[in-house]
Amino acid sequence: MKYAQDIAEATQDIFSSMVMLDVTPGEPFKRADSKLVNSISGIIGLAGEIKGMLAIHLPDKTALAITTAFLGMDVEDIDEDVCDAVGELANMLGGSIKTTFDPGGSKVQLSMPSAIHGEEYAVDCLTNAESVTVPFAFNGQTFLVELQISQNN
Amino acid sequence: MEFAKKIVESTEEIFNTMIFMEVAAESPLTQGKQDLGCHISAMIGLTGGLSAMLGIHCPEDVGLAISGAMLGMEIEEIDADVKDALGEIANMVAGGVKERFATENINLELAIPTAISGKSYTIASTTTSNRVIIPFSIEQGQFFIEIKYHLN
Repeated sequence: MKYAQDIAEATQDIFSSMVMLDVTPGEPFKRADSKLVNSISGIIGLAGEIKGMLAIHLPDKTALAITTAFLGMDVEDIDEDVCDAVGELANMLGGSIKTTFDPGGSKVQLSMPSAIHGEEYAVDCLTNAESVTVPFAFNGQTFLVELQISQNN
Repeated sequence: MEFAKKIVESTEEIFNTMIFMEVAAESPLTQGKQDLGCHISAMIGLTGGLSAMLGIHCPEDVGLAISGAMLGMEIEEIDADVKDALGEIANMVAGGVKERFATENINLELAIPTAISGKSYTIASTTTSNRVIIPFSIEQGQFFIEIKYHLN
């Protein structure tokens, strides 16, 4: 699937360099109508010549493990630190994937990230966008990275 | 920058001209109120002169009323039509905000909207961002338009 390889490389790169975790990509798929349960999502917009949205969806316990590794301190609850860390992960992933579309760095820009947390919620792609989701695994934990790119440009 | 004024003007314009609903803006909330008790939200990123995220947050009844008015049909549950309608409203309000900033030579670009729905969720901004939340009233209740931003 288009972009799946870019997502896999960007995510492995960010996780190994910033979070000190080796993550293994799985088979890409198109996420549709699936609810996220006890999870946290970081989302960030891409705008300019390419318009889109990048999201990372983490089950709560995975978010805690990643935040602990990322910040180098123990976190036990989904608190402000975890929301910030997940937003920052979305920001770093967005920055890394952006270089795929925009090697010169001037044509696509990132918005501010946001973190969504809940017991049961859906994050849906709107508009005429192409979407691809890549699952990742490490130490028995899993998470998803999803990219939506508008086809209306 | 007058974020609140731009949001209020843009929201009133969209509701009056595209949805044909009267909305009344209330005083902006500047505190990062985490849980607005909402069941459907749509968010869109803005970049360029500002790095921002604009969102509309609605309790279920309000989201159904707004999308029903926009689409001209009775809607009973949060479905794909409601998500699309809210996403389109976020897109249009952000477009209005973009136009208003353009008159001040601050150029913005829009990302694409995303809908968030569910019985229980909170949306957190990064703790270092600025945040303005404007409540609006319609007959069925209140909805909120929020912008979180960093100056670039």
